[in-house]
Amino acid sequence: MKEQTKLLLPSLAVVAPIVAFPTVFLFYMSLHQWILFIQEIKFIWLENFYNIITSQEFLQSFGITAIFVGASTFFTLLFGLALALILNEDLKGKGVFRTLFTLPAIIPPVVAGFAWKFLLNSEVGFIGGYILPHLGYEGSILGNPQLALLAVIMADVWSRMPLMFLILLAGLQSIPPDLYEAAEIDGANYWKALRYITLPSMRSAIIIALIIRFIDAFNLLETIFVMTSGGPGIATQTFPLLGWKIGFQYYNLGEAAALAIIMLIMTILVSQALIRRMRT
Amino acid sequence: MSTSIYTRSVWTRVVLYFVLAIFLVFFLFPIIWLIISSVKTHYQTLVIPPKLIFKPTAAAYRKIITGGMLRSFKNSIMISFIDIVLALLLSIPAAYSLARFKSKFNENIGFWFLTVRMAPAFGVIVPMYIVIRYLKLLDTTFAVNIAHLLINLPFGIWLLKGYFEELPIEIEESALIDGANRLQTLIRIVLPTSLPMIISVAILTFMFSWNEFLFAFVLTSNKGVTVPVLVASLAGTMTFDWPLMCAVSIGAMIPAFIFVFVVQRYIVRGLTLGALK
Repeated sequence: MKEQTKLLLPSLAVVAPIVAFPTVFLFYMSLHQWILFIQEIKFIWLENFYNIITSQEFLQSFGITAIFVGASTFFTLLFGLALALILNEDLKGKGVFRTLFTLPAIIPPVVAGFAWKFLLNSEVGFIGGYILPHLGYEGSILGNPQLALLAVIMADVWSRMPLMFLILLAGLQSIPPDLYEAAEIDGANYWKALRYITLPSMRSAIIIALIIRFIDAFNLLETIFVMTSGGPGIATQTFPLLGWKIGFQYYNLGEAAALAIIMLIMTILVSQALIRRMRT
Repeated sequence: MSTSIYTRSVWTRVVLYFVLAIFLVFFLFPIIWLIISSVKTHYQTLVIPPKLIFKPTAAAYRKIITGGMLRSFKNSIMISFIDIVLALLLSIPAAYSLARFKSKFNENIGFWFLTVRMAPAFGVIVPMYIVIRYLKLLDTTFAVNIAHLLINLPFGIWLLKGYFEELPIEIEESALIDGANRLQTLIRIVLPTSLPMIISVAILTFMFSWNEFLFAFVLTSNKGVTVPVLVASLAGTMTFDWPLMCAVSIGAMIPAFIFVFVVQRYIVRGLTLGALK
Protein backbone atom coordinates (compact mmCIF):
# COMPACT_ATOMS: atom_id res chain seq x y z
CA MET A 1 0.00 0.00 0.00
CA LYS A 2 2.80 2.39 0.90
CA GLU A 3 4.59 1.66 -2.38
CA GLN A 4 1.43 2.45 -4.30
CA THR A 5 0.83 5.85 -2.80
CA LYS A 6 4.48 6.81 -3.27
CA LEU A 7 4.10 6.44 -7.03
CA LEU A 8 0.50 7.51 -7.30
CA LEU A 9 0.47 10.67 -5.20
CA PRO A 10 3.07 12.87 -6.91
CA SER A 11 1.78 12.25 -10.40
CA LEU A 12 -1.87 12.59 -9.43
CA ALA A 13 -1.15 15.67 -7.32
CA VAL A 14 0.00 17.39 -10.49
CA VAL A 15 -2.37 15.77 -12.96
CA ALA A 16 -5.69 15.77 -11.11
CA PRO A 17 -5.94 19.54 -10.48
CA ILE A 18 -4.89 20.32 -14.05
CA VAL A 19 -7.52 17.96 -15.40
CA ALA A 20 -10.32 18.73 -12.93
CA PHE A 21 -9.83 22.47 -12.61
CA PRO A 22 -11.28 23.72 -15.93
CA THR A 23 -14.47 21.70 -15.58
CA VAL A 24 -15.07 22.78 -11.98
CA PHE A 25 -14.26 26.41 -12.66
CA LEU A 26 -16.44 26.35 -15.77
CA PHE A 27 -19.50 25.39 -13.68
CA TYR A 28 -18.67 28.13 -11.20
CA MET A 29 -18.38 30.74 -13.94
CA SER A 30 -21.61 29.72 -15.63
CA LEU A 31 -23.57 30.72 -12.50
CA HIS A 32 -22.12 34.22 -12.39
CA GLN A 33 -22.46 37.40 -14.32
CA TRP A 34 -18.85 37.43 -15.41
CA ILE A 35 -17.95 40.05 -17.98
CA LEU A 36 -14.36 40.81 -18.81
CA PHE A 37 -13.24 44.36 -17.91
CA ILE A 38 -16.12 44.69 -15.44
CA GLN A 39 -14.77 44.21 -11.95
CA GLU A 40 -17.94 43.11 -10.20
CA ILE A 41 -18.77 39.41 -10.46
CA LYS A 42 -22.34 38.63 -9.40
CA PHE A 43 -23.92 35.28 -8.54
CA ILE A 44 -27.04 35.08 -10.69
CA TRP A 45 -28.21 31.46 -10.45
CA LEU A 46 -29.21 30.12 -13.86
CA GLU A 47 -29.78 33.44 -15.58
CA ASN A 48 -26.96 32.85 -18.09
CA PHE A 49 -28.57 29.58 -19.14
CA TYR A 50 -31.98 31.22 -19.43
CA ASN A 51 -30.61 34.11 -21.48
CA ILE A 52 -28.81 31.88 -23.91
CA ILE A 53 -31.54 29.30 -24.47
CA THR A 54 -34.17 31.96 -25.12
CA SER A 55 -31.99 33.94 -27.54
CA GLN A 56 -32.80 33.87 -31.24
CA GLU A 57 -29.19 33.16 -32.18
CA PHE A 58 -29.07 30.03 -30.04
CA LEU A 59 -31.95 28.47 -31.96
CA GLN A 60 -30.47 29.41 -35.33
CA SER A 61 -27.07 28.08 -34.30
CA PHE A 62 -28.72 24.89 -33.11
CA GLY A 63 -30.16 24.30 -36.58
CA ILE A 64 -26.86 25.09 -38.31
CA THR A 65 -24.93 22.87 -35.90
CA ALA A 66 -27.39 20.02 -36.50
CA ILE A 67 -26.98 20.27 -40.28
CA PHE A 68 -23.20 20.60 -40.08
CA VAL A 69 -22.68 17.76 -37.62
CA GLY A 70 -25.25 15.51 -39.30
CA ALA A 71 -23.96 15.96 -42.84
CA SER A 72 -20.30 15.89 -41.90
CA THR A 73 -20.66 12.78 -39.75
CA PHE A 74 -22.68 11.01 -42.41
CA PHE A 75 -20.25 11.67 -45.25
CA THR A 76 -17.02 11.06 -43.31
CA LEU A 77 -18.41 7.76 -42.11
CA LEU A 78 -19.82 6.67 -45.47
CA PHE A 79 -16.70 7.56 -47.47
CA GLY A 80 -14.41 6.32 -44.70
CA LEU A 81 -16.18 2.96 -44.72
CA ALA A 82 -16.02 2.73 -48.53
CA LEU A 83 -12.29 3.49 -48.47
CA ALA A 84 -11.66 0.99 -45.68
CA LEU A 85 -13.54 -1.75 -47.57
CA ILE A 86 -11.63 -1.02 -50.79
CA LEU A 87 -8.22 -0.90 -49.13
CA ASN A 88 -8.96 -4.12 -47.27
CA GLU A 89 -8.99 -5.86 -50.64
CA ASP A 90 -5.93 -7.47 -52.13
CA LEU A 91 -4.88 -4.50 -54.24
CA LYS A 92 -1.39 -3.60 -55.37
CA GLY A 93 -0.05 -0.37 -53.86
CA LYS A 94 -2.61 -0.21 -51.07
CA GLY A 95 0.13 0.69 -48.58
CA VAL A 96 0.95 3.81 -50.60
CA PHE A 97 -2.72 4.78 -50.82
CA ARG A 98 -3.11 4.28 -47.11
CA THR A 99 -0.12 6.52 -46.37
CA LEU A 100 -1.32 9.28 -48.68
CA PHE A 101 -4.89 9.10 -47.36
CA THR A 102 -3.63 9.56 -43.78
CA LEU A 103 -2.08 12.93 -44.59
CA PRO A 104 -5.10 15.29 -44.24
CA ALA A 105 -5.83 13.86 -40.77
CA ILE A 106 -2.62 15.22 -39.32
CA ILE A 107 -2.17 18.58 -41.03
CA PRO A 108 -3.26 21.59 -38.96
CA PRO A 109 -7.03 22.26 -39.29
CA VAL A 110 -6.31 25.96 -39.90
CA VAL A 111 -4.29 24.94 -42.95
CA ALA A 112 -7.17 22.74 -44.13
CA GLY A 113 -9.47 25.75 -43.75
CA PHE A 114 -7.08 28.05 -45.57
CA ALA A 115 -6.47 25.58 -48.41
CA TRP A 116 -10.19 25.34 -49.15
CA LYS A 117 -10.73 29.06 -48.68
CA PHE A 118 -8.01 29.64 -51.27
CA LEU A 119 -9.36 27.02 -53.71
CA LEU A 120 -12.92 28.33 -53.44
CA ASN A 121 -12.01 32.02 -53.67
CA SER A 122 -14.11 33.49 -56.46
CA GLU A 123 -11.29 35.65 -57.85
CA VAL A 124 -8.08 33.63 -57.62
CA GLY A 125 -9.21 30.15 -56.50
CA PHE A 126 -8.69 27.16 -58.75
CA ILE A 127 -12.21 25.87 -58.09
CA GLY A 128 -14.13 29.05 -57.28
CA GLY A 129 -12.43 31.30 -59.86
CA TYR A 130 -11.62 28.86 -62.66
CA ILE A 131 -13.58 25.60 -62.69
CA LEU A 132 -16.96 26.84 -61.44
CA PRO A 133 -17.18 29.83 -63.83
CA HIS A 134 -16.56 27.32 -66.66
CA LEU A 135 -19.48 25.28 -65.36
CA GLY A 136 -21.63 28.39 -65.33
CA TYR A 137 -21.46 29.53 -61.69
CA GLU A 138 -19.89 32.96 -61.31
CA GLY A 139 -20.80 33.95 -57.75
CA SER A 140 -18.82 33.72 -54.56
CA ILE A 141 -19.21 30.41 -52.76
CA LEU A 142 -18.18 31.54 -49.29
CA GLY A 143 -20.37 34.61 -49.70
CA ASN A 144 -23.51 32.57 -50.31
CA PRO A 145 -25.21 31.33 -47.10
CA GLN A 146 -26.17 27.85 -48.33
CA LEU A 147 -23.05 27.21 -50.36
CA ALA A 148 -20.82 28.47 -47.52
CA LEU A 149 -22.32 25.87 -45.20
CA LEU A 150 -21.79 23.21 -47.86
CA ALA A 151 -18.18 24.38 -48.31
CA VAL A 152 -17.29 24.11 -44.62
CA ILE A 153 -18.89 20.66 -44.52
CA MET A 154 -16.74 19.63 -47.47
CA ALA A 155 -13.56 21.01 -45.90
CA ASP A 156 -14.36 19.13 -42.69
CA VAL A 157 -15.03 15.90 -44.60
CA TRP A 158 -11.68 16.39 -46.32
CA SER A 159 -9.74 16.80 -43.11
CA ARG A 160 -11.56 14.23 -40.98
CA MET A 161 -12.49 11.36 -43.29
CA PRO A 162 -8.95 9.86 -43.02
CA LEU A 163 -9.34 9.30 -39.29
CA MET A 164 -12.65 7.50 -39.81
CA PHE A 165 -10.99 5.44 -42.52
CA LEU A 166 -8.17 4.39 -40.17
CA ILE A 167 -10.51 3.44 -37.32
CA LEU A 168 -12.84 1.49 -39.60
CA LEU A 169 -9.93 -0.27 -41.32
CA ALA A 170 -8.63 -1.38 -37.92
CA GLY A 171 -12.11 -2.69 -37.12
CA LEU A 172 -12.27 -4.47 -40.46
CA GLN A 173 -8.91 -6.15 -39.97
CA SER A 174 -9.92 -7.56 -36.61
CA ILE A 175 -12.74 -9.67 -38.10
CA PRO A 176 -11.68 -13.35 -37.91
CA PRO A 177 -11.19 -14.74 -41.48
CA ASP A 178 -12.89 -18.05 -40.68
CA LEU A 179 -16.24 -16.24 -40.60
CA TYR A 180 -15.80 -15.64 -44.33
CA GLU A 181 -14.75 -19.21 -45.01
CA ALA A 182 -18.03 -20.39 -43.53
CA ALA A 183 -19.88 -17.87 -45.69
CA GLU A 184 -18.10 -19.11 -48.79
CA ILE A 185 -19.13 -22.67 -48.08
CA ASP A 186 -22.72 -21.44 -47.73
CA GLY A 187 -22.34 -19.80 -51.15
CA ALA A 188 -22.81 -16.19 -49.99
CA ASN A 189 -21.59 -13.55 -52.44
CA TYR A 190 -19.62 -10.42 -51.50
CA TRP A 191 -22.64 -8.22 -50.84
CA LYS A 192 -24.38 -10.88 -48.75
CA ALA A 193 -21.18 -11.33 -46.74
CA LEU A 194 -20.93 -7.57 -46.31
CA ARG A 195 -24.50 -7.35 -45.11
CA TYR A 196 -24.51 -10.37 -42.79
CA ILE A 197 -20.90 -10.71 -41.64
CA THR A 198 -18.77 -7.61 -42.20
CA LEU A 199 -21.11 -4.87 -41.06
CA PRO A 200 -22.48 -6.70 -37.98
CA SER A 201 -18.92 -7.62 -36.91
CA MET A 202 -17.90 -3.98 -37.23
CA ARG A 203 -20.76 -2.72 -35.12
CA SER A 204 -18.64 -1.51 -32.22
CA ALA A 205 -15.93 -0.03 -34.44
CA ILE A 206 -18.59 1.91 -36.36
CA ILE A 207 -20.25 3.18 -33.20
CA ILE A 208 -16.91 4.24 -31.71
CA ALA A 209 -16.07 6.04 -34.94
CA LEU A 210 -19.50 7.70 -34.75
CA ILE A 211 -18.96 8.88 -31.18
CA ILE A 212 -15.51 10.28 -31.94
CA ARG A 213 -16.77 11.95 -35.09
CA PHE A 214 -19.80 13.43 -33.38
CA ILE A 215 -17.76 14.95 -30.54
CA ASP A 216 -15.18 16.23 -32.99
CA ALA A 217 -17.64 17.81 -35.44
CA PHE A 218 -19.79 19.24 -32.64
CA ASN A 219 -16.75 21.03 -31.17
CA LEU A 220 -15.04 22.00 -34.42
CA LEU A 221 -14.00 25.62 -34.56
CA GLU A 222 -10.83 26.33 -36.49
CA THR A 223 -11.72 25.19 -40.00
CA ILE A 224 -14.93 27.24 -40.00
CA PHE A 225 -13.23 30.14 -38.24
CA VAL A 226 -10.59 30.44 -40.95
CA MET A 227 -12.98 29.89 -43.88
CA THR A 228 -15.96 32.06 -42.94
CA SER A 229 -15.72 33.14 -39.27
CA GLY A 230 -19.32 31.94 -39.00
CA GLY A 231 -20.56 34.08 -41.88
CA PRO A 232 -21.90 35.26 -44.20
CA GLY A 233 -24.20 36.70 -41.54
CA ILE A 234 -24.50 33.75 -39.22
CA ALA A 235 -24.92 31.11 -41.96
CA THR A 236 -22.05 28.91 -40.71
CA GLN A 237 -22.17 29.90 -37.04
CA THR A 238 -22.17 26.57 -35.24
CA PHE A 239 -22.20 26.40 -31.43
CA PRO A 240 -18.42 26.72 -30.97
CA LEU A 241 -18.36 29.87 -33.11
CA LEU A 242 -21.33 31.29 -31.19
CA GLY A 243 -19.51 30.53 -27.93
CA TRP A 244 -16.38 32.16 -29.24
CA LYS A 245 -18.35 35.27 -30.20
CA ILE A 246 -20.13 35.53 -26.84
CA GLY A 247 -16.95 34.92 -24.86
CA PHE A 248 -14.26 36.73 -26.76
CA GLN A 249 -16.06 39.39 -28.76
CA TYR A 250 -18.85 40.34 -26.34
CA TYR A 251 -16.56 39.37 -23.40
CA ASN A 252 -19.52 37.74 -21.66
CA LEU A 253 -17.53 34.86 -20.18
CA GLY A 254 -20.33 33.70 -17.86
CA GLU A 255 -22.72 33.17 -20.74
CA ALA A 256 -20.02 31.48 -22.83
CA ALA A 257 -19.41 29.12 -19.93
CA ALA A 258 -23.13 28.37 -19.79
CA LEU A 259 -23.17 27.53 -23.51
CA ALA A 260 -20.13 25.28 -23.03
CA ILE A 261 -21.98 23.37 -20.31
CA ILE A 262 -25.10 23.04 -22.47
CA MET A 263 -22.86 21.62 -25.22
CA LEU A 264 -21.17 19.28 -22.77
CA ILE A 265 -24.55 17.95 -21.62
CA MET A 266 -25.66 17.41 -25.24
CA THR A 267 -22.39 15.61 -25.97
CA ILE A 268 -22.80 13.30 -22.98
CA LEU A 269 -26.44 12.53 -23.85
CA VAL A 270 -25.67 11.66 -27.47
CA SER A 271 -22.57 9.60 -26.62
CA GLN A 272 -24.45 7.73 -23.91
CA ALA A 273 -27.24 6.90 -26.35
CA LEU A 274 -24.67 5.63 -28.85
CA ILE A 275 -22.76 3.62 -26.25
CA ARG A 276 -25.99 1.96 -25.17
CA ARG A 277 -26.60 0.89 -28.77
CA MET A 278 -23.16 -0.67 -28.81
CA ARG A 279 -24.02 -2.97 -25.91
CA THR A 280 -27.39 -4.23 -27.14
CA MET B 1 -3.42 -8.82 -44.37
CA SER B 2 -6.71 -9.10 -46.13
CA THR B 3 -9.82 -10.71 -44.75
CA SER B 4 -11.35 -10.93 -48.18
CA ILE B 5 -11.48 -14.39 -49.68
CA TYR B 6 -13.25 -13.23 -52.80
CA THR B 7 -11.19 -13.20 -55.97
CA ARG B 8 -11.78 -10.13 -58.08
CA SER B 9 -12.27 -9.86 -61.80
CA VAL B 10 -10.12 -7.44 -63.74
CA TRP B 11 -13.07 -5.10 -64.19
CA THR B 12 -13.80 -4.95 -60.48
CA ARG B 13 -10.18 -4.02 -59.89
CA VAL B 14 -10.35 -1.30 -62.51
CA VAL B 15 -13.44 0.17 -60.85
CA LEU B 16 -11.81 0.01 -57.41
CA TYR B 17 -8.66 1.75 -58.65
CA PHE B 18 -10.81 4.37 -60.32
CA VAL B 19 -12.63 5.11 -57.05
CA LEU B 20 -9.27 5.26 -55.25
CA ALA B 21 -7.96 7.67 -57.86
CA ILE B 22 -10.91 10.02 -57.28
CA PHE B 23 -10.30 9.97 -53.54
CA LEU B 24 -6.59 10.52 -54.14
CA VAL B 25 -7.23 13.64 -56.21
CA PHE B 26 -9.71 14.93 -53.62
CA PHE B 27 -7.21 14.41 -50.79
CA LEU B 28 -4.02 15.52 -52.45
CA PHE B 29 -5.05 18.30 -54.79
CA PRO B 30 -5.50 21.01 -52.10
CA ILE B 31 -2.05 20.21 -50.70
CA ILE B 32 -0.38 20.12 -54.11
CA TRP B 33 -2.05 23.38 -55.04
CA LEU B 34 -0.65 25.04 -51.91
CA ILE B 35 2.83 23.79 -52.78
CA ILE B 36 2.58 25.08 -56.36
CA SER B 37 1.18 28.45 -55.31
CA SER B 38 3.86 28.93 -52.66
CA VAL B 39 6.57 29.14 -55.33
CA LYS B 40 4.69 31.57 -57.56
CA THR B 41 4.99 35.33 -57.54
CA HIS B 42 2.08 37.34 -56.19
CA TYR B 43 1.06 38.30 -59.72
CA GLN B 44 1.17 34.68 -60.95
CA THR B 45 -1.29 33.55 -58.27
CA LEU B 46 -3.83 36.11 -59.52
CA VAL B 47 -3.79 34.90 -63.14
CA ILE B 48 -6.89 33.04 -64.32
CA PRO B 49 -6.67 30.48 -65.91
CA PRO B 50 -3.93 29.39 -63.52
CA LYS B 51 -0.57 28.63 -65.12
CA LEU B 52 1.03 25.29 -64.42
CA ILE B 53 4.30 26.10 -66.18
CA PHE B 54 6.19 28.99 -64.67
CA LYS B 55 9.57 29.85 -63.20
CA PRO B 56 9.41 28.94 -59.49
CA THR B 57 10.61 31.49 -56.97
CA ALA B 58 11.46 31.15 -53.29
CA ALA B 59 10.49 34.75 -52.61
CA ALA B 60 7.60 33.81 -50.34
CA TYR B 61 9.84 31.59 -48.23
CA ARG B 62 12.43 34.34 -47.96
CA LYS B 63 9.66 36.66 -46.79
CA ILE B 64 8.95 34.31 -43.88
CA ILE B 65 12.52 34.89 -42.69
CA THR B 66 12.78 38.61 -43.43
CA GLY B 67 9.24 39.30 -42.18
CA GLY B 68 10.11 38.04 -38.70
CA MET B 69 7.71 35.10 -38.98
CA LEU B 70 10.33 32.57 -37.96
CA ARG B 71 9.54 33.45 -34.38
CA SER B 72 6.17 31.66 -34.62
CA PHE B 73 7.94 28.56 -35.87
CA LYS B 74 10.41 28.80 -33.01
CA ASN B 75 7.53 29.20 -30.54
CA SER B 76 5.65 26.24 -31.98
CA ILE B 77 8.72 24.00 -31.89
CA MET B 78 9.49 24.96 -28.29
CA ILE B 79 5.91 24.50 -27.11
CA SER B 80 5.60 21.12 -28.82
CA PHE B 81 8.85 19.69 -27.45
CA ILE B 82 8.39 20.97 -23.91
CA ASP B 83 4.89 19.53 -24.05
CA ILE B 84 6.19 16.09 -25.08
CA VAL B 85 8.64 16.04 -22.14
CA LEU B 86 6.09 17.24 -19.58
CA ALA B 87 3.29 15.03 -20.90
CA LEU B 88 5.46 11.89 -20.77
CA LEU B 89 6.99 12.68 -17.37
CA LEU B 90 3.57 13.18 -15.83
CA SER B 91 1.41 10.71 -17.74
CA ILE B 92 3.62 7.61 -17.53
CA PRO B 93 3.64 7.30 -13.71
CA ALA B 94 0.00 8.37 -13.48
CA ALA B 95 -1.11 5.87 -16.13
CA TYR B 96 0.95 3.10 -14.54
CA SER B 97 -0.53 3.78 -11.12
CA LEU B 98 -4.05 3.80 -12.51
CA ALA B 99 -3.43 0.58 -14.46
CA ARG B 100 -1.92 -1.37 -11.57
CA PHE B 101 -3.76 -0.15 -8.48
CA LYS B 102 -7.44 -0.62 -9.04
CA SER B 103 -9.89 1.29 -6.89
CA LYS B 104 -13.20 3.10 -7.09
CA PHE B 105 -11.25 6.35 -7.11
CA ASN B 106 -9.50 5.31 -10.32
CA GLU B 107 -12.76 4.75 -12.13
CA ASN B 108 -13.95 8.27 -11.32
CA ILE B 109 -10.65 9.76 -12.45
CA GLY B 110 -11.28 8.10 -15.80
CA PHE B 111 -14.55 9.99 -16.04
CA TRP B 112 -12.81 13.34 -15.50
CA PHE B 113 -10.36 12.52 -18.26
CA LEU B 114 -13.23 11.85 -20.62
CA THR B 115 -15.05 15.09 -19.83
CA VAL B 116 -11.97 17.12 -20.72
CA ARG B 117 -11.80 15.26 -24.03
CA MET B 118 -15.49 15.87 -24.70
CA ALA B 119 -15.76 19.44 -23.45
CA PRO B 120 -15.87 22.07 -26.17
CA ALA B 121 -12.46 23.70 -26.52
CA PHE B 122 -13.82 27.17 -25.79
CA GLY B 123 -15.30 25.75 -22.57
CA VAL B 124 -11.80 24.78 -21.50
CA ILE B 125 -10.19 28.00 -22.63
CA VAL B 126 -12.65 30.33 -20.88
CA PRO B 127 -11.58 29.29 -17.34
CA MET B 128 -7.96 28.93 -18.53
CA TYR B 129 -7.97 32.47 -19.88
CA ILE B 130 -9.17 33.92 -16.56
CA VAL B 131 -6.37 32.17 -14.66
CA ILE B 132 -3.61 32.95 -17.16
CA ARG B 133 -4.72 36.58 -17.25
CA TYR B 134 -4.77 36.73 -13.45
CA LEU B 135 -1.24 35.29 -13.34
CA LYS B 136 -0.14 37.88 -15.92
CA LEU B 137 1.14 35.13 -18.22
CA LEU B 138 -0.78 36.19 -21.34
CA ASP B 139 1.24 36.16 -24.58
CA THR B 140 3.86 33.71 -23.27
CA THR B 141 4.69 30.29 -24.68
CA PHE B 142 4.46 29.01 -21.12
CA ALA B 143 0.72 29.79 -21.04
CA VAL B 144 0.15 27.87 -24.27
CA ASN B 145 2.16 24.95 -22.89
CA ILE B 146 -0.05 24.68 -19.82
CA ALA B 147 -3.20 24.86 -21.93
CA HIS B 148 -1.99 22.13 -24.29
CA LEU B 149 -0.97 19.94 -21.38
CA LEU B 150 -4.56 20.13 -20.23
CA ILE B 151 -5.65 18.15 -23.29
CA ASN B 152 -2.52 16.08 -23.86
CA LEU B 153 -2.24 14.72 -20.32
CA PRO B 154 -5.68 13.10 -20.13
CA PHE B 155 -5.24 11.70 -23.64
CA GLY B 156 -1.76 10.32 -22.94
CA ILE B 157 -2.83 8.81 -19.63
CA TRP B 158 -5.83 7.23 -21.32
CA LEU B 159 -3.72 5.62 -24.06
CA LEU B 160 -0.92 4.46 -21.75
CA LYS B 161 -3.26 3.14 -19.09
CA GLY B 162 -4.96 0.94 -21.66
CA TYR B 163 -1.59 -0.31 -22.87
CA PHE B 164 -0.17 -0.98 -19.40
CA GLU B 165 -3.27 -2.96 -18.44
CA GLU B 166 -2.58 -5.41 -21.27
CA LEU B 167 1.02 -6.08 -20.23
CA PRO B 168 1.64 -9.42 -18.50
CA ILE B 169 1.96 -8.74 -14.80
CA GLU B 170 4.15 -11.77 -13.94
CA ILE B 171 7.50 -10.23 -14.92
CA GLU B 172 6.80 -7.17 -12.82
CA GLU B 173 5.85 -9.36 -9.87
CA SER B 174 9.05 -11.35 -10.05
CA ALA B 175 11.02 -8.10 -10.18
CA LEU B 176 9.20 -6.91 -7.08
CA ILE B 177 9.99 -10.20 -5.31
CA ASP B 178 13.64 -9.73 -6.22
CA GLY B 179 13.58 -6.52 -4.22
CA ALA B 180 13.04 -3.85 -6.85
CA ASN B 181 10.60 -1.11 -5.85
CA ARG B 182 7.71 0.03 -8.01
CA LEU B 183 9.59 2.90 -9.58
CA GLN B 184 12.52 0.67 -10.55
CA THR B 185 10.09 -1.89 -11.99
CA LEU B 186 8.42 0.84 -14.01
CA ILE B 187 11.69 2.21 -15.39
CA ARG B 188 13.55 -1.07 -16.03
CA ILE B 189 10.77 -3.44 -17.05
CA VAL B 190 7.60 -1.63 -18.05
CA LEU B 191 9.11 1.26 -20.01
CA PRO B 192 11.30 -0.78 -22.42
CA THR B 193 8.38 -3.04 -23.39
CA SER B 194 6.05 -0.04 -23.78
CA LEU B 195 8.36 1.95 -26.01
CA PRO B 196 6.18 1.74 -29.17
CA MET B 197 3.16 3.11 -27.31
CA ILE B 198 5.26 5.82 -25.65
CA ILE B 199 6.51 6.90 -29.07
CA SER B 200 2.91 7.01 -30.30
CA VAL B 201 1.90 9.19 -27.36
CA ALA B 202 4.90 11.48 -27.94
CA ILE B 203 4.03 11.91 -31.62
CA LEU B 204 0.34 12.52 -30.96
CA THR B 205 1.26 15.04 -28.25
CA PHE B 206 3.52 16.80 -30.72
CA MET B 207 0.89 16.81 -33.46
CA PHE B 208 -1.76 18.19 -31.10
CA SER B 209 0.49 20.99 -29.84
CA TRP B 210 1.74 21.84 -33.30
CA ASN B 211 -1.75 21.91 -34.85
CA GLU B 212 -3.71 23.49 -32.00
CA PHE B 213 -5.22 26.87 -32.80
CA LEU B 214 -7.88 28.14 -30.38
CA PHE B 215 -5.90 28.05 -27.11
CA ALA B 216 -2.86 29.65 -28.68
CA PHE B 217 -5.06 32.25 -30.40
CA VAL B 218 -6.80 33.28 -27.17
CA LEU B 219 -3.70 33.22 -24.98
CA THR B 220 -1.20 34.96 -27.26
CA SER B 221 -1.23 38.16 -29.25
CA ASN B 222 2.27 39.01 -30.35
CA LYS B 223 5.39 37.48 -28.84
CA GLY B 224 3.95 34.04 -28.12
CA VAL B 225 2.12 33.51 -31.42
CA THR B 226 2.29 29.95 -32.81
CA VAL B 227 2.24 28.77 -36.44
CA PRO B 228 -1.52 28.00 -36.65
CA VAL B 229 -2.28 31.44 -35.21
CA LEU B 230 0.02 32.96 -37.82
CA VAL B 231 -1.76 31.04 -40.61
CA ALA B 232 -5.18 32.13 -39.37
CA SER B 233 -4.19 35.76 -38.96
CA LEU B 234 -2.63 35.88 -42.45
CA ALA B 235 -5.73 34.21 -43.91
CA GLY B 236 -7.89 36.77 -42.14
CA THR B 237 -6.11 39.88 -43.42
CA MET B 238 -7.32 41.73 -46.47
CA THR B 239 -3.88 42.10 -48.08
CA PHE B 240 -4.09 38.60 -49.60
CA ASP B 241 -0.45 37.80 -50.11
CA TRP B 242 -1.35 34.36 -51.48
CA PRO B 243 2.19 32.99 -52.05
CA LEU B 244 3.22 33.99 -48.52
CA MET B 245 0.10 32.40 -47.00
CA CYS B 246 0.76 29.22 -48.97
CA ALA B 247 4.41 29.15 -47.93
CA VAL B 248 3.51 29.53 -44.24
CA SER B 249 0.92 26.76 -44.65
CA ILE B 250 3.55 24.48 -46.18
CA GLY B 251 5.83 25.27 -43.24
CA ALA B 252 2.98 24.36 -40.89
CA MET B 253 2.63 21.01 -42.67
CA ILE B 254 6.30 19.97 -42.51
CA PRO B 255 5.89 17.80 -39.37
CA ALA B 256 2.86 16.13 -40.95
CA PHE B 257 4.87 15.36 -44.10
CA ILE B 258 7.72 13.91 -42.06
CA PHE B 259 5.52 11.88 -39.75
CA VAL B 260 3.26 10.40 -42.37
CA PHE B 261 6.18 8.97 -44.33
CA VAL B 262 8.61 8.12 -41.53
CA VAL B 263 6.63 7.09 -38.47
CA GLN B 264 3.16 6.52 -39.86
CA ARG B 265 2.59 3.25 -38.02
CA TYR B 266 3.03 4.99 -34.66
CA ILE B 267 0.45 7.61 -35.57
CA VAL B 268 -2.01 5.01 -36.78
CA ARG B 269 -1.48 2.94 -33.65
CA GLY B 270 -2.06 5.94 -31.39
CA LEU B 271 -5.11 7.17 -33.26
CA THR B 272 -6.83 3.81 -33.60
CA LEU B 273 -5.87 2.29 -30.26
CA GLY B 274 -7.15 5.40 -28.57
CA ALA B 275 -10.34 4.94 -30.50
CA LEU B 276 -10.83 1.22 -30.09
CA LYS B 277 -10.10 1.05 -26.36
